[in-house]
Amino acid sequence: MTYFIDSLIAALELITSFDNSIYRIVFTSVSISLIASLIAASLAVPAGVVMALNTFRGKTFIQHLLNTLMAMPTVVIGLLLYGLFSRLGPLGHWGLLYTPMAIIIAEAILIFPIMMNLTITAVNSADPRLKPTLISLGAGPISLAIHVIRATKLAILAAIVTGFGRAIGEVGAAMMLGGNIEGFTRTMTTAIALETSKGEFELGLALGLLLLIIAFVLNFLLSWLHRPAT
Amino acid sequence: MTNAYELNNIKVVHQQNCVLDIPHFSIPSGKCIALLGENGAGKSTLMSLLAFTAKATEGTIQLFGQHIASKLSPMQRRRIGMVSQQPYLLAGTVADNIKLALKLQNIESSQHAFLIEQTLQQLNLTQLAAQSAQTLSGGELKRAAIARAIAYDPDILLLDEPFSHLDQRHIRQLENAIQRFAQQTNKTVIFSTHDQPQGLAIADETLNLHAGKITQAPLLNLFHGTLSQHDFNTGNLIIHAASDLANARHIAIDPKEIIISHQPLDSSMRNSFNGRVVLIAQENNTVRLTVDCEERFQVIISPESLTHLNLTLGDTICLSFKSTAVTVF
Repeated sequence: MTYFIDSLIAALELITSFDNSIYRIVFTSVSISLIASLIAASLAVPAGVVMALNTFRGKTFIQHLLNTLMAMPTVVIGLLLYGLFSRLGPLGHWGLLYTPMAIIIAEAILIFPIMMNLTITAVNSADPRLKPTLISLGAGPISLAIHVIRATKLAILAAIVTGFGRAIGEVGAAMMLGGNIEGFTRTMTTAIALETSKGEFELGLALGLLLLIIAFVLNFLLSWLHRPAT
Repeated sequence: MTNAYELNNIKVVHQQNCVLDIPHFSIPSGKCIALLGENGAGKSTLMSLLAFTAKATEGTIQLFGQHIASKLSPMQRRRIGMVSQQPYLLAGTVADNIKLALKLQNIESSQHAFLIEQTLQQLNLTQLAAQSAQTLSGGELKRAAIARAIAYDPDILLLDEPFSHLDQRHIRQLENAIQRFAQQTNKTVIFSTHDQPQGLAIADETLNLHAGKITQAPLLNLFHGTLSQHDFNTGNLIIHAASDLANARHIAIDPKEIIISHQPLDSSMRNSFNGRVVLIAQENNTVRLTVDCEERFQVIISPESLTHLNLTLGDTICLSFKSTAVTVF
């Protein structure tokens, strides 16, 4: 117990001392996850809105596929991309392996089905009168999508934040594709795994606490956005 | 006169149930038409088809003589204004909602302020222009939705149950607004209602919908049952009909075709039933009697006839009507 409490105190000291190495890792982690989230959102939100607003052959199949991809283990994505980006892989000449870009691509792929699925749910949970009202007022496909996104913006924002939360907590693909290179591809989760295996429990705990704080801030932000209007 | 709509072989099937079946029907332009029918008759489904916000399972609809293949062009869309049974106003003020409609209809922004002001005045909503749509009462919401629908000056105004859940004052305001719009040159108004007298009072023509089918019969005195050799069995009464239509399940009897008397009449009328007067209601220049003869019949007579027969509630009277007054469908 003393070991745990001592480590916790040391971790808090590391956080409050604004240790450069820790915040460098936090910055890398947040920036990678943020870029991955923006890329995924820019594709998943329009795709989700289009899918929710239209009926077409194969829609049920795509829905099942998205549900399956949501549950896909991150190491499987890491493995597949490793095969593509490794020197002998078909995209090896791009030189992406062990770069932040490789992690960004993996995280974007990982969170795309989550964001798309949650966007579909957000649009489907909108008032059923919204779509026929907009169509009857003269909305074409693009303006229909824009107004539906506006009407469901908070739920769609929640989908994006959920994706970001999933990306920042991801470890398998980041480790395999980023290589955990200090100051370059070392993220909070890969650092926690490394430091704990080295016996540096304080540093791992400090990063873990910061990860929890980020998760708390995100959740607080979501609750604040969903607060009832006064 | 051109037709606003022409429907051919329209069928709408929901979960293997045919909820609308219209072989052929035309709706003339420039008229105010009431679409009458009970709840579940298919009125809202038909309104959605006419607004082109839903598609028929089978069949075609022509709009002002033009066949609509899949979606309306922006110009065709501008010709239709639709207000649903429970209108949906988007977040923002009443004026914002009208502005949105004008924007979506690609009307020049320089005209927006004038058109918003003009439409709000027409619906007596000027004082609510800046009010949030979420805070409107039921009547205000319906008027705001109508304002939004007529702001871009459509040729056709579709109103699905515009008078439901409104008090008398709001109903009168809405009736006036609808009549004002209908009186403009060549404007077509189609509104659905389950209130037959109200439909008859406002509309030039009525369209009766029953169990997804358009029928010429008035929907008062509507009975369900089976027809066998001209005898229609409602379960409580046997009513003689002139028609012997195969698979007929419904009959309707025009309330004006029913004769009432204190004693059974010696006449050619094949249907004669004794019943008790359970309701007497005065409507404009007519009196509506409800008579219970195992089945409840609506009978329309003049106020003079009511005085002459000296009818009061609970009186036993005789109803008589010809078998040709019975519409079978």
